[in-house]
Amino acid sequence: MSGREQEYREIFMAEALEYYDAMSRHISELEREPTNEPALRELFRLMHNLKSNARAMGYTSIGEVAHQMETIFGLIRDENRAFGGSLVPVLFGGIDSIGEMIRAVGENEPMPDVERLLDNLDRLAKGEEPNLEEEEADDEEDVSRKLELSDLVYIQVRKLDHLMNLVGELIIDRDRIQTLSREINHPALTTAAAHFSRIADELQYSVMDARLVGVGSLFSKFPRVVRDVAAAEGKDVELTLVGEDIQIDRNILQIITDALLHLVRNAIGHGLETAAEREAAGKPGQGHLTLSAQAERDDVLVQVRDDGRGINVESVRRKAVERGLVSKAAAAHLSDEAVRSFLFEPGFSMAKEVTEISGRGVGLDVVKLAIDSLGGQLRVDSVMGEGTTFTLVLPTSIAVKGALLFELENRNYAIPLMHTDSVVSLLPDSFNVVGGLLITRLQGENVPVVDLRRLLHNGDGPLPPASKADLQGRQDIIIVNYNNRRLGLIVDRFLRQQDIVVKPMSKPLDTIDLFGGVTLLGSGQVCLVLDVPALTRLFLAKRP
Amino acid sequence: MADADKTAKPDPIIQLIVFRLGEEEYGIRIEQVKEVTITPDIARMPKTPAFVKGIANLRGDIIAVIDLEERFQLRSPDQPMPAVTYTMALEAKDYTIGIMVREVPQPLSVAQSVIEQTPEFIQEANIHDKYIEGIAKIGPRIIVVLDMLKLLTPAEIMQLQPAEASSPELGRTTG
Repeated sequence: MSGREQEYREIFMAEALEYYDAMSRHISELEREPTNEPALRELFRLMHNLKSNARAMGYTSIGEVAHQMETIFGLIRDENRAFGGSLVPVLFGGIDSIGEMIRAVGENEPMPDVERLLDNLDRLAKGEEPNLEEEEADDEEDVSRKLELSDLVYIQVRKLDHLMNLVGELIIDRDRIQTLSREINHPALTTAAAHFSRIADELQYSVMDARLVGVGSLFSKFPRVVRDVAAAEGKDVELTLVGEDIQIDRNILQIITDALLHLVRNAIGHGLETAAEREAAGKPGQGHLTLSAQAERDDVLVQVRDDGRGINVESVRRKAVERGLVSKAAAAHLSDEAVRSFLFEPGFSMAKEVTEISGRGVGLDVVKLAIDSLGGQLRVDSVMGEGTTFTLVLPTSIAVKGALLFELENRNYAIPLMHTDSVVSLLPDSFNVVGGLLITRLQGENVPVVDLRRLLHNGDGPLPPASKADLQGRQDIIIVNYNNRRLGLIVDRFLRQQDIVVKPMSKPLDTIDLFGGVTLLGSGQVCLVLDVPALTRLFLAKRP
Repeated sequence: MADADKTAKPDPIIQLIVFRLGEEEYGIRIEQVKEVTITPDIARMPKTPAFVKGIANLRGDIIAVIDLEERFQLRSPDQPMPAVTYTMALEAKDYTIGIMVREVPQPLSVAQSVIEQTPEFIQEANIHDKYIEGIAKIGPRIIVVLDMLKLLTPAEIMQLQPAEASSPELGRTTG
């Protein structure tokens, strides 16, 4: 049995045992008070959940019993039956059988025979009397039944967060101790420091691993959402889920929940056409929506793909000019990709006309903000008439980020790799000055370049026009990429690439969004972590 | 009996940490001071007001360090901060903040009764009257007792100076 299967089985066992305990509790309550409605509802829900889980895992007999029991509890809940008479021992027996079957799964034993139980449940559902002979015989064994404790521990995310914070502190100290041990260069200290580092690393990965959950735990909520939204919109939509096994930090999943919900609602509401429209366009009447996750190096890619009408780039282009986001002349030369990224501009997609024309709805900027807060990226691809794909590029873990360290005015800064395109070192003749801006040509694209020192220390006014005379010698430039805008930042010196633990900015400085946080370097120096989205916005606001 | 009660009425002793800003002495209740240390290496934060000196690593806590002389314009331009300064780490409601001072702050015990309410004309004239808890007179010394919790609300700290005062200040940091 593979590790993944084993893990799923453990999770199933833990949940099933918990359900079983709750069922036993609630049915006892029901026996004392046959009209206890909350207990009934709870039993119905537990049976339903157990049925779904068991069927998903391939334990058909558990699924079958739970299904039949659910039916009976449904009848009682709807007051078609009363909880009393011969029905009671059958239901108690049913819950006992469920417990036995769950234990059989846990111990890898053959399933007990439930033919008789199923037959009785079937009779009850039809309103017939169950066959209760010899039912007493098993009871003594049942009394001596084992009490099970689950192999899994439920833990509050808050506790995991605390653990993660502590590990973050530990990693910073690890770097510090490593630096010190190199400086002091004492053999015993070096050995101890190396051992300490290894343990700290392992602890870090274990804690990060403990926080990982399958993307499926979020995806599995979507069939219902899609069904409801599609029904409300009068559309026929088939949902496909891919890559539910991909692991990601639980808090990241939590943060993208609303964003994903938003994208899915949008895709059904605005992206996919009605069956009649689709058929008229020569497509199958049923719309297709795919939610997929895949691992890509250290990132997780989550995609929402529909085969609907796609985004009309020209109307977005027109709208962007109307809203003054870009000049008409400049808009004409923007690539389709660059035009589509206007959809993520705050307030842009709020315009109702755009919703109708482009087929894209309200509040994509909100989705964008959620992804930004994670240091992730949001992309959109679309082909008119064929559909739209939104891609969320997410880090696997919140706490540790790959970053590029550089020096500016004798200070160390870090910039997350997630938003770093490339680094280049250019001589002054590789630049042109256009409209007061430095421009350089990279991979066939003109990229604006700004001296980061000026951008950060210029006070409140706009940047002074750039001049080539300011450039002397080779310029170290970091090309950052945010929302399809590339921007070159001139820094004093590249340092190195390093995994950093980002600590949020403490109050009262947390209102300054230019910095995503701080990290401590091995030297004990404080290093500011730049926030590329905020930096790009600052550049756009301050450009001459 | 009643007389005895009156004379025995305790006059609580208050421990203050006294420091100098500009020409005056100020005091803070000791329980609001977490520690006093030689100012650690400070990373200047771009795009913050000039009186925010930056952030520093204080035993693993990253704290903001501010210069109250600059914040309240208590320093004449010919009195720059010395090379070695001290930082008092103060406990605000839910965070710690560093206040940079030029001399080692000193502890001082005073009786509660020595702290007088601020005269009304100061309340009206002075911009930072709301943080002043009272004024302690000890011989020739006059110590302004500050209520740090009121001073240290994030909104209060980050409040920018009036535009004409702050812009040249910010501009000066350029280059």
